[in-house]
Amino acid sequence: MRRAALISTVAGLAAGWLVLALLVWVYGASPREVLAQLAQGTWGMAYGAGQVLYKATPLLLTGLAVDLALRAGLFNIGAEGQLAVAGLAIGAVGARLPPGTPAWLALPLLTVVAAAAGALWAAPPALLRARYGAHEVISTIMMNRIADAAIGLLLARGLAIPGTVRTPDVAPGARLPRLESLGFASLHGSAVSVALPLAIVVALVAAWWLARARIGREIVLVGLSPTACAAEGIPVARRLAAALVLSGAVAGLAALAPVLGYKGYFESGLGAGAGFGGIAVALLGRGHPAGLLLAALLFGTLEQGGLVINATVPMELTTVLQGVVIVAVALADVRVRRLALRGARAT
Amino acid sequence: MPSILSVERLDKHYGAVHAVSGVSLAFEAGEVHAVVGENGAGKSTLLKMAAGVVVPDAGEVHIAGRALAPHTAHEAIARGVGMVQQHFALVGVLSALDNVMLGAEPVRSMGRLDRAAARARAERVASEMGVSLPWDAPVESLGVGDRQRLEIVRTLVREARIVILDEPTAVLTPGEAEQLYAGLRRMAEAGRAIVVVTHRLDEVRDHAQRVSVMRRGRLVATYAMSATYRDSLMRDVTRDIMGEDPPPPVERHARERGQVALDLRDVRLGRALRGVTLSVNAGEIVGIAGVEGNGQRELVRVLAGLEAPESGTVRAGRVVVVHEDRHAEGLVLGASVLDNLVLGELRAFTSRAGIVDAAALEREAARRLERARVVPPDLAAMVGALSGGNQQKVVVARAVAREGRADAFVFAQPTRGVDLGAARAIHGEIARAADAGKAVLLVSADLAELRALADRVLVMARGRIVAELPPDASDARIGEAMLGGTEATA
Repeated sequence: MRRAALISTVAGLAAGWLVLALLVWVYGASPREVLAQLAQGTWGMAYGAGQVLYKATPLLLTGLAVDLALRAGLFNIGAEGQLAVAGLAIGAVGARLPPGTPAWLALPLLTVVAAAAGALWAAPPALLRARYGAHEVISTIMMNRIADAAIGLLLARGLAIPGTVRTPDVAPGARLPRLESLGFASLHGSAVSVALPLAIVVALVAAWWLARARIGREIVLVGLSPTACAAEGIPVARRLAAALVLSGAVAGLAALAPVLGYKGYFESGLGAGAGFGGIAVALLGRGHPAGLLLAALLFGTLEQGGLVINATVPMELTTVLQGVVIVAVALADVRVRRLALRGARAT
Repeated sequence: MPSILSVERLDKHYGAVHAVSGVSLAFEAGEVHAVVGENGAGKSTLLKMAAGVVVPDAGEVHIAGRALAPHTAHEAIARGVGMVQQHFALVGVLSALDNVMLGAEPVRSMGRLDRAAARARAERVASEMGVSLPWDAPVESLGVGDRQRLEIVRTLVREARIVILDEPTAVLTPGEAEQLYAGLRRMAEAGRAIVVVTHRLDEVRDHAQRVSVMRRGRLVATYAMSATYRDSLMRDVTRDIMGEDPPPPVERHARERGQVALDLRDVRLGRALRGVTLSVNAGEIVGIAGVEGNGQRELVRVLAGLEAPESGTVRAGRVVVVHEDRHAEGLVLGASVLDNLVLGELRAFTSRAGIVDAAALEREAARRLERARVVPPDLAAMVGALSGGNQQKVVVARAVAREGRADAFVFAQPTRGVDLGAARAIHGEIARAADAGKAVLLVSADLAELRALADRVLVMARGRIVAELPPDASDARIGEAMLGGTEATA
């Protein structure tokens, strides 16, 4: 069955690239040239690869966040707001840390702040779902809007440097070292930081927790059949709430890369798009840490690639490509799975 | 002369499941031909292909010697094949007459409906069957027996020469089932071919002239029923259905009766429960008989603590429930056999840090798996891939593992859709629970099951217990009570 998922993903990707080539051709440019440009500007050069990795980092975490919620049968559309609120929180707290704060103190502290802020932002939808059955798609989207407004308000009311929409720089100890400074000198100039390996660790820990911790296992069971779980005394509403809050916490962690790994401060709009991108990553990643990573890398490549080809064709074409890939993979999935079952039976 | 209906080398796959595998079979006019087999044997699929409802992957259907082409239900109906499905295809808000006319409306000039002609035709058919129906009443107001008769009239109005019925007695009381078969015999004597798909062997023994047995998509054998060798024939049929000798049935035996462990007084809940009063003592098995839809489901939910009654009192100790719908409350279909065997019990295997002791969990699950003899004995298999009987074994295994922490058990339709072997095993567990001194409530629409296990049988109709009868009470008495007849002591 896993092979079927792989085949359908590859088939979907192939379809996506075909569509991109077609669109480029319709636009009047040469598909071969554009695709070569895209490849060159992303994985063809060290800086490009580094940028891809940087962009993939928050996507891996938001993808994981959406996936966690999906395990419980919930759709967290609020990763966007959760990560923005977390970004503001770590930007504000980081700026208020004493300048001499050592990294071993600042970084764990801010990690906790990021997770807590994301969890806090997911809490109202979680409680509403648990208590009243309010659909989380609606409540999380609303929290996104509230986040926009709240962040703007807080920035204007003193968290930002006057006259700007950014917070002051965080204490030096709170910066996440970039990978280029840790021996990957070839990635010179790119923003990828230790946030990437951190994200990978979080994904692995999450997978382990869902399989080995009681609450994790119950969340998965609730997602598969709330009726049967309720009949056997598993507190379904509490588990749903836990899944959503956890999802928010992980989405909050996605703010670490842009705020502490790249800019060193929070500004309005930083990290935007990663929340929604996470939905695509989760759908492609199929709940497997490796799948999530690969999907994050794919969309990171497309994001970076869009910038690179922007001189020749509109970068929106890569956005179209992302959409086509998702639809194509979903379609291929149903068909391939059917074929795979038939084949398995015949042998 | 060619058979009135014959199928040749019919084959059908549903995804990975080989539902029907190379079946060739002929049906003759003038007889009642039963097709039997366990759930999942392929009986319904086979007959749906014969009726044009399902398109076969390979093989042919011949009606009176000519192939059915195009292979559609419409064409089959035009050629004289009528099928009465298990879940009726009637429109509730329309009248009985309208439903009979639906799809075959007689018209006058300019396309106007000729209701008078339709009514005349329907009444003629109904009297031939020996029944009368309220033609102008909306179907949703009709009882199940009447609805079924209406479906049959519908097929006959279209001049069906072959009438196929899929599990027709699943929703009928014993008396209604008798009436149905009498009507079917009349129709057969008038020259039609009657095909009945059923898993109820007692009906086959009493009413069929020919029996075909299916197992795992294949036709195993066809027998002509004979009056003299009826019982030995039925033994052969049973063996063919299972593929092996059936395990011995559970024998009812006397047990020591203890204190009252379940006590309900005048429990009411909406329109489903209208004052249920019953009590069960430790060590006894009390059966609740009744056609489904008379409040049994709600009663079980109240006993399980999933719903609170609006009034009345419920006194119960620790109750373990096996719900009637294993796909809803019984199992997490997408999870493994292991997860399902220990569903809801993770806390007992969790350390203080919140981590589950996987090894201990697996040991306990393996123990339950072995006792239940689930096939295949694979803890990692997805429970949704198991057969109905094995799925139910998992549910029952989980329930009986809680014997030490329970005072009472409630089993609701525990062997519905379950093969004979698994059903016998589950009956064994039910009897053992009572032997261990638990109070057992057995809710079942299967009278044979109740007769085999229950010490006394309560009949439930329209939300109340309307009678208490000994398990060897006749079908007629039980059927009468189900229809809300005599009130008895409770």
